[in-house]
Amino acid sequence: MKDQEKLKEDNKEFHEHHLVTYKMQYSTWVGLLLLTVMTVTVSVFGAHIYTLSVLTALIIASTKALVVALYFMHLKFDPKLYLIMIGIVMFLFVIFLVLTLIDYLTRPTQTMMM
Amino acid sequence: MAQTFVLPNSGHNRDDVASKMGMWLFLFTELLLFGGMFLVYLIYRVGYSEDFLNASYQLDVFMGTVNTIVLLTSSMTVAMSITAIQKGNKDLAVALLWVTLAAALIFLVIKYFEWTAKFDYGLAMGMDYYNSLPHGERLFFFLYFLMTGLHAIHVIVGAVILLFVIHGINKGTVTQDKFMFHENAGLYWHLVDLIWIYLFPLFYLIH
Repeated sequence: MKDQEKLKEDNKEFHEHHLVTYKMQYSTWVGLLLLTVMTVTVSVFGAHIYTLSVLTALIIASTKALVVALYFMHLKFDPKLYLIMIGIVMFLFVIFLVLTLIDYLTRPTQTMMM
Repeated sequence: MAQTFVLPNSGHNRDDVASKMGMWLFLFTELLLFGGMFLVYLIYRVGYSEDFLNASYQLDVFMGTVNTIVLLTSSMTVAMSITAIQKGNKDLAVALLWVTLAAALIFLVIKYFEWTAKFDYGLAMGMDYYNSLPHGERLFFFLYFLMTGLHAIHVIVGAVILLFVIHGINKGTVTQDKFMFHENAGLYWHLVDLIWIYLFPLFYLIH
């Protein structure tokens, strides 16, 4: 019986979950809304600066994605293992995007248009 | 003589860490599914930037913004309902999930009005007006229907999974102590939100 209790004690850490407060979720939501307002404003009123608006839109979108992942998806409070996995996958994914883009963007224009 | 044989991990016939890891592995496949399409989008956007710009003026920024807010709100209510179940507050958890489902419905209704407006203009694949458009604009609308359509399917699937979570809470299979199904369903719902976070600026906000 003692063994059993010891095992239960050992397993406890795997079953403990960090509790995210309602307040924190509400603040996260407010932050995400502000970022949305920002990206719409940049796009609608910064119409003449084309490349800047593309870049800012992507940066703001990625900031929002990061906030959702860290707070709503609990990555900030979960075991670090998930973060490492996601880091590796995102790294490979970005390589996949960048290499394909480099290929296409350095082709002669005719081939690009198909 | 009595012998007690203690199984490793006895009393816990489950592994929450692995369960969540499995969900993340699945989400990585979703990343590849949508990532491939985003790559197609990026390449054609560089190739046909003028056409993409012109075509994006046909989309309704207001409706897109409302849908973004609706999805962000639903993400918050799912996250809150997970907190509620962890605190043992079943009623609140279920109520918050119903709010999420209502948000999903609002999202889809708005999407329906957007799509039917596009159909009325003849902007869907194969329609006469669509066929008369420049190559780049046709690509834009093709990608618009493909990507928002696939995203809408994910919204529907996510809503069905959340219905199962509600059922689980009511039946007692999802509890304060055992809520991984709830949490994984939440992860799926957040992924749907994440995809929309990128779809929205890339399609609606080209200016």
